[in-house]
Amino acid sequence: MSIAISNIVKTFGGFTALKGVSLEVEAGELVALLGPSGCGKTTLLRIIAGLDAADSGTILFDGEDATRRHVGERQVGFVFQHYALFRHMTVFENIAFGLRVRPRAQRPAEKEIQRKVHDLLSLVQLDWLAQRYPAQLSGGQRQRIALARALAVEPKVLLLDEPFGALDAKVRKDLRRWLRRLHDELHVTSVFVTHDQEEALEVADRIVVLNQGQIEQIGTPDEVYDHPATPFVYQFLGDVNLFHGRVHEDQAHIGEAELKARGQLNAGASATIFYVRPHELEVLRRPDGSQAVRAWVRDVRRVGSVIRLQLERLDGHGTLEAEMPRERYEDEVHAVQKGEQVFVRPKNMRVFSEHHHGSGVKD
Amino acid sequence: MTALAHKKYSVIPGFSLAIGFTVLYLSLIVLIPLSATFLKSLSLGSEHFWEAVTSPRVLASYRLSFGASLLAAAINVVFGLLVAWVLVRYRFPGKRLVDALVDLPFALPTAVAGIALAAVYSRNGWIGHSLEAFGIKVAYTPLGVLVALTFIGLPFVVRTVQPILEDFDGELEEAAASLGASRLQTFLRVIFPSLWPALLTGFTLAFARAVGEYGSVIFIAGNRPMVSEITPLLIITKLEQYDYAGATAIAVSMLVISFTLLLVINGLQWWSHSRRSASASSGGHEPVVDKPGFARAHARPNPAAPIAERP
Amino acid sequence: MAASVAVPRPRFNGKTHPPARVDTEPLWVRWLLTGLALAFLTGFLLIPLATVFSLAFSKGIAAYFDALTEPMAFAAIKLTLLVAAIAVPLNLIFGIAAAWAIAKFEFSGKSVLITLIDLPFSVSPVVSGLIYVLLFGLQGWLGPWLAAHDIQIIFAVPGIVLATIFVTFPFVARELIPLMQAQGTEEEEAALVLGASGLQTVWRVTLPNIKWGLLYGVILCNARAMGEFGAVSVVSGHIRGLTNTLPLHVEILYNEYNSAAAFAVASLLAFLALLTLAAKSFLEWRLKEQFTTQQQENPS
Repeated sequence: MSIAISNIVKTFGGFTALKGVSLEVEAGELVALLGPSGCGKTTLLRIIAGLDAADSGTILFDGEDATRRHVGERQVGFVFQHYALFRHMTVFENIAFGLRVRPRAQRPAEKEIQRKVHDLLSLVQLDWLAQRYPAQLSGGQRQRIALARALAVEPKVLLLDEPFGALDAKVRKDLRRWLRRLHDELHVTSVFVTHDQEEALEVADRIVVLNQGQIEQIGTPDEVYDHPATPFVYQFLGDVNLFHGRVHEDQAHIGEAELKARGQLNAGASATIFYVRPHELEVLRRPDGSQAVRAWVRDVRRVGSVIRLQLERLDGHGTLEAEMPRERYEDEVHAVQKGEQVFVRPKNMRVFSEHHHGSGVKD
Repeated sequence: MTALAHKKYSVIPGFSLAIGFTVLYLSLIVLIPLSATFLKSLSLGSEHFWEAVTSPRVLASYRLSFGASLLAAAINVVFGLLVAWVLVRYRFPGKRLVDALVDLPFALPTAVAGIALAAVYSRNGWIGHSLEAFGIKVAYTPLGVLVALTFIGLPFVVRTVQPILEDFDGELEEAAASLGASRLQTFLRVIFPSLWPALLTGFTLAFARAVGEYGSVIFIAGNRPMVSEITPLLIITKLEQYDYAGATAIAVSMLVISFTLLLVINGLQWWSHSRRSASASSGGHEPVVDKPGFARAHARPNPAAPIAERP
Repeated sequence: MAASVAVPRPRFNGKTHPPARVDTEPLWVRWLLTGLALAFLTGFLLIPLATVFSLAFSKGIAAYFDALTEPMAFAAIKLTLLVAAIAVPLNLIFGIAAAWAIAKFEFSGKSVLITLIDLPFSVSPVVSGLIYVLLFGLQGWLGPWLAAHDIQIIFAVPGIVLATIFVTFPFVARELIPLMQAQGTEEEEAALVLGASGLQTVWRVTLPNIKWGLLYGVILCNARAMGEFGAVSVVSGHIRGLTNTLPLHVEILYNEYNSAAAFAVASLLAFLALLTLAAKSFLEWRLKEQFTTQQQENPS
């Protein structure tokens, strides 16, 4: 089922949680709503589910207006952040609940319910837990039972609120791959909320980046990561170095360095901020014409297979962070040590027009 | 109740029915009868009213009721803290039984408590007999009133202090000890400051309950006018003499006092609660706006909190 | 051989002192405090309780059972049960409705409503009875009209029921409100998303979750309903066999210097109190367990 959301506005008291959000989700897609806490992503998900009502705007399910449809009639499955399993029911009864509460005429026979619940339990690979109570399960198990319960009513849309938020790092990684495989099997239209960019990048077909009640960008994981539309998206999807400088005739001027600009540097000769990811910073032992910024190494950190360098610019314009695989550090940078001097050259930069420049950034 | 009309959207059904029934039942049982009483007192005229609530006999009963209630609540603060401390901190055989028994004054009908206390503290009673040897008479004196009011208020301080003591972070004590504080210093400077809002709340609860108490007192008090006659008893006496105006006037004066106390208690609880949660949530806080539907109550309702009558 | 200066050294005497525990007091202090606390509780609680039972049997077992089975006592027992059977279910329904509105919804005026629900606890029992006398009694607002229509409320069973409802009014509500607030609305929302109706949600999700708290409130409400003295005393009229509840019956017997019979009837009420305490302890244990699993499930 496809979902078309247009111009959703929602306020709580004096606070505007959603400022006119429009979004289309195609049938069979897995979409992530990504943003910091307080950005309105959970509110949007609850409005799609019918758990909250928008102040204005419409929601279409398969082209039909569902804005006023009651939550029980929307045919959505909702997985709550804290799972909301019925604590006084066994796992089996939790999953069977949606079938048992149907009006008598539509209610499946007991045999059919049994079969269905067991099918779902094997789908989530937990058939052996049928008679346990929620309190006796681990976080990851609860999560999968909550999913099975939502799927039991054969929803046309699956909505998940921070599905991995309450789990520890290892379980979280396993579960999100599992969820992706499950989606590839079932192809039910799914929307999930997350504040974790890695999660969104790994699992989703498309990512909707939300900030302060507005959509910043919609796109595939590659699009939002490689071609962020706004400084916010750039910063939210990874670490970033900022260079203050100017653009003049396809040349970027940063401090005393002149860099050949690649990409669309369409700004005039005005002051600009250049955005560079840590892994896009080239660190050189020797100068490379005038195309580099000089810095000295403040610190070298090994984080597993990656090396992180903290660099202090010699022109006094703050610190930079560079990141590279261990091999490159050893071969190309000759394992530069603390206190040594280096030359830094951005391999890739991005410029946003002046009025975008927003909140505090790492500099 | 127009203020109740303003409601946030929710998918959960039944609000109108639930709030409608709640307000209707509350009005019929509580609000209308109480308002009628206040209205009745207005019809007395201020002169009449003033005369009724300030006659010497009424004033004497106030002195006894309030004096004995204050004293009883003070005794309960000392011994309530002691009992709560022993129950939380020490182990001894029969502890769970003792813990359950603390609520006896809540569960025992006041008339039963009254005749039992009168029997125990009278001249032939188990304790009254021993006290008589020292020349102390309890039953049928103001002292008897004090005993009954102490009995009735006993659980309040214990049950307000107990959960605070249970939640008290042992690391604070260890930190104090590691900084060189003696055990007594640790108690006075570290433990006690976090207990005293609860002690004050317990004190006020016990006091408010004691002021209105009737059943457990009248059997042991002797009920001599000007000496051992409590205010609630005076209301009954006036009623029996068909002095409805006098009874109403005294009742209204008591209602005003109890409502004031209720406000004080609410204020105290709000205050001690905000003190506790302020210290508890010093970590990062997440804007609640993202999860409007289920702002979870932060107050952990304590199942062992004072259960029965809150005056 | 050089004479060495003798440095006085502490001699090891074979005893070791374990480091003093920092989180408790010396043994003698603990004994003293425990002893004091137990002495206080014995004097104020245990001895009066024991006295009730010992005086109840002071004239022998036969007299004890005679006191309980004589017609007036029997009528009092019946009336007490009747009053509780009306007052408790009404306050139960009220408690559920009030807790549902307060715990599951956001609306303005909520804290005022909670305070108003607690109001009856702050009113002296005597005054609780008096307000109904002033409303329904002969001198009261509705008295003349009721008299004209031959309806008697004061000095009759309806008055006793009303006064009992008033004094036990908040019990169930104030037990359920914090419990349901702590449980939040997620489970109800989950049920509704799964297609359950409002009634199904309440019946299958909410009520099973609050059953222990509900029982707890009902037990406390019942104990007070059966034991209420002051409020009932004002509205009852003390008509033997007709408007005498058990506590009033105890008072009459006691005032007639029939102490053994008074304590025999009182022992019945004391026994009820002990049952209440036992049930209460059990339910507190259940509720505590529920709260802890809940906190593990949704750490907020």
